[in-house]
Amino acid sequence: MRLYVYAIIDSNPEGIVLPIPFSRQKSRDPDLSGKERTNSGVEESIKGLSEAPVYTIPYRDIGIVVSDLDPQVQIETKESILKHEEVVEALMDRFTVLPMRLYTVFSKKEDMFLKVKNHYEDFVENLDRVRDKREYGIKVIWAGDIIKERIINAHKNESPAHPEQSGIKFMKEKFEKYKIDKEFEEEADRCIAIVDGFLSRHASEKKLEKLKTDNLLLSASYLVDNEKRDDFKKAFEELKSSGGDLKFMLSGPWPAYNFITLSHSVDGKFGGPDLIETILQHKDPEKKEGRDE
Amino acid sequence: MSKTVETDSLEIFANEMEKVKGALPKKIEANPENAEKGLAKLVLTLIELIRKLMEKQAMRRVEAGSLTDEEIERVGETLEKLENKMKELKEIFGLKDEELNLNLGPLGDLM
Repeated sequence: MRLYVYAIIDSNPEGIVLPIPFSRQKSRDPDLSGKERTNSGVEESIKGLSEAPVYTIPYRDIGIVVSDLDPQVQIETKESILKHEEVVEALMDRFTVLPMRLYTVFSKKEDMFLKVKNHYEDFVENLDRVRDKREYGIKVIWAGDIIKERIINAHKNESPAHPEQSGIKFMKEKFEKYKIDKEFEEEADRCIAIVDGFLSRHASEKKLEKLKTDNLLLSASYLVDNEKRDDFKKAFEELKSSGGDLKFMLSGPWPAYNFITLSHSVDGKFGGPDLIETILQHKDPEKKEGRDE
Repeated sequence: MSKTVETDSLEIFANEMEKVKGALPKKIEANPENAEKGLAKLVLTLIELIRKLMEKQAMRRVEAGSLTDEEIERVGETLEKLENKMKELKEIFGLKDEELNLNLGPLGDLM
């Protein structure tokens, strides 16, 4: 039997089985005290991949959240992605969570322990860093194709009229393109600075990605203290209402998918820069919309 | 606490994200049936990276005015030949420009 790993949490529950917040309603129920987090009630545990119960394996003062996985089960599916996110989201209600990268599977428990042992210091450091914080994803679209066209047109008059040697002609064409791209990026930088100015003052950390496509001006992640979340959302609303032709998308609150760093090695097992996008791409469109609270 | 996805332009964002997804291959597809293509893709990706770096460096030098006309001609001729050779190789192995990229996980994309 393999182990599918969902996350590391900042809790080391007694015993090896942990029924965890089965649904948001239940997790808010005052009757669900620490007393409930015992070995009993496995049948109530949140279900993971292939409907297997999710449980926690303790390691020192942290917990590894896993479910058993039949070797035959194909895990690279849309259902797995949504299930992974569902488990992490349920955990997030009660613990500080370091989500694992999708499809993290260990054939042997010993291998998993070895990995956790090697990264233990990192985990503790990351858990401290992201405690009481949530991640928000921001995407901004601008009319990149139109802006680029405008820049290209402005450069058209500068083209040389006389014939030239092949190498120089090639270099001039390339240089024109280089200047257009540079100007385009500088314009993007100016817009991003304005957008980021609104949001970053309410965030403790941020990650910005510029121009993943010509039209996708910004894909950003902000790590926001729980107590500043309302301010952050207000700033987003303010930005949205004054953003002119820009189009905005906010998603979250997410666990800190994009703010987990490993100092000793980069093996791509934790978080993942494209995990939120992957989750959003696999959710049904009607589930994408909704309002907080 | 419930999760929100808030936008007035959901379809536009969905389309743009779809483009990003398509542009970034997640892994090298190497298996017994297409080992040659998988290897060619990896090698050509690295060559393309180096070629683009050389080209960018040349542009910076042109911009800074540190190349003579003769040097520009020689560099231009070399870069043109490299570009044409790459086009040939991509055609031979049936690879498109957007396939010559690698996702390096936490490090982002190669190009």
